[in-house]
Amino acid sequence: MILVLVVYFVALMGYVAAAFIRAARRSGGVTRRRMRAVSAGCLALGAFILLVPIAGISAGAPWLVSFWTLLEQLCALAAGLAFLLGFAPPGWLRRTWQEPELRAFLGRAASLPRLPDTAAIIEALERSTAAALGVVDATIGLWDGEAGVLRSGSGDRRTDAPPDQFAGGRAFISQRPVFVAGAALTGPAKAGPSRRASDGSALAAPITAGETRLGVLVAHAPHAPIFAEDDLGLLALLAGQAAVILESRALIDQAARMQAREEAARLKDDFLSAAAHDLKTPLTALVAQTQLLERRAQRNPAEPADLASIKAMVGETQRLKRLVLELLDVARAEQGTLVGRRERVDLAALARDACALHATDLHRYTLDAPDRLEGYYDSMRIVQLLDNLLENAAKYSPSGGEVQVRLWLDGDSARLAVKDPGIGIPPSDLPHLFERFHRGSNVDDRRFAGLGLGLHICRGIVEQHGGSIWATSSGSGRGSTFHVALPTGAPIAAPFLAEPPAVAPAVDAPQLALEQAP
Amino acid sequence: MSRGPILVVDDDPAIRRTVAEILAFEAYTVETAPDGAQALQAVERERPGLVLLDMRMPVLDGWGFAQALKERNIALPIVVMTAARDSARWAAEIGAAGHLAKPFDLLDLLAVVERLYGAA
Repeated sequence: MILVLVVYFVALMGYVAAAFIRAARRSGGVTRRRMRAVSAGCLALGAFILLVPIAGISAGAPWLVSFWTLLEQLCALAAGLAFLLGFAPPGWLRRTWQEPELRAFLGRAASLPRLPDTAAIIEALERSTAAALGVVDATIGLWDGEAGVLRSGSGDRRTDAPPDQFAGGRAFISQRPVFVAGAALTGPAKAGPSRRASDGSALAAPITAGETRLGVLVAHAPHAPIFAEDDLGLLALLAGQAAVILESRALIDQAARMQAREEAARLKDDFLSAAAHDLKTPLTALVAQTQLLERRAQRNPAEPADLASIKAMVGETQRLKRLVLELLDVARAEQGTLVGRRERVDLAALARDACALHATDLHRYTLDAPDRLEGYYDSMRIVQLLDNLLENAAKYSPSGGEVQVRLWLDGDSARLAVKDPGIGIPPSDLPHLFERFHRGSNVDDRRFAGLGLGLHICRGIVEQHGGSIWATSSGSGRGSTFHVALPTGAPIAAPFLAEPPAVAPAVDAPQLALEQAP
Repeated sequence: MSRGPILVVDDDPAIRRTVAEILAFEAYTVETAPDGAQALQAVERERPGLVLLDMRMPVLDGWGFAQALKERNIALPIVVMTAARDSARWAAEIGAAGHLAKPFDLLDLLAVVERLYGAA
């Protein structure tokens, strides 16, 4: 009878110990160590129970009895100690036990503010929190004061809920860490971010930096934690760290926003003064010419109007017209309506014309191109693109020299490269070169008039042809090369080929493609 | 009394030519230069009595030109012609005697020339 009881209790202790070890493996921090202590206590207690009958059986030899008794008492002591540590650990031990997780969290946290955006930081914080607490997942709800909601997730998985409906929102309201049992989490389906709302439990701690309530950090556990107070303590510490990280990130963001606003204002200012300059220059000549013409006519009414003056005026009118159209093109580039009707265009011929047109005593243009290179383009816009790139090459090479223009076919794209010996492009400008109003940081606008629109329009033209444009430069003073890739194919060919006429034999399709897109 | 010509310095050929024509029509003697460097050569060569100076120019801009004049101890009345909003400030910067904001009126041009250079 006693033997049965002993076996029963030993088995029970073994089972409980195994259960605690399993639970320990799933949890983290102090909880894991407390559970380990408890399971160790169970094993020691089991051993003690096992030793009681063994000590009784081996009654013969007195030294053996004292040995078993000693062992028995050691087991009992170990069990008691382990249970004490497990169920009521002293404060210093808790802190020691908490340290590794906290350290790991802080180690990961150090690099967080440098992540590209707040969403990435929040995701990393959530992962770190889950890892530190040993729970399946953790969620950060960020307080949006204007909407009066706690916001979690991003994109499709974004959920907004007022604090009283947000899982763990009570921690935000009370500004104290709270434990929320499963039942408390059930509510409107979209109320909280907890995907296990009804059958889980949650620990929540407010994320607060000084007086600023930033949000709430919620850890979701599949079932109620056994040592909730320890997990809550750790969670509160983590939430404090999260607050520091988020606050510093917010400051970084704010500084960046302010800088971007200033930059935008500066660009607009530069643009307005450049636009004014570029509009005023032909206008100056035009006004002066007409007034001179008037003065001449008044003084010598019999004399016929000077044809050269009139021609000069026509020239200036054209210049003004071009400028006004350029300004309008910027609007079209924004709307994506730059490119109109496309037709078969020989890029090689256009490039030859452009090189001949732009050549001056100061700037030579050498062209390396095949005899023909055809594609489907808006020819007017391609001419504009070539003019812009060739003009820029000369404009930004004030000491003159040779501009090398190369045109070739690369797969199904026409490729163009315009290489100049000019002032080059600093690496920091390369990514912004094609942005509206952008002008190179090494471009002294006293020497180089311009609106910063030319390349922006060029990009519009190229991209609306389905191509791409980019620039390379070895740096300031080392010249630059502008590259363009323009697919030769006609876009109208695509829907046409997608639905070949039912009657057409299959072999016709490739020929059709060749005709449509040489 | 012989005095030098009026030197018109502007990188824009249409403005250069038109201003020269206007002055020539009023019987002034005119020289032109497309940038500050060539304007300096013209100053050495022609010893002009007045310079009408654009500020934003390639090779050597208006500031550079004015600085070079100062370094060579050449005192010359200068009229700044610029499309920029701060034409008056720029004129003050280089110690110019007058300024014309582009697009300027023909009569304003003639008035400032007459004030600083005299009648033709």
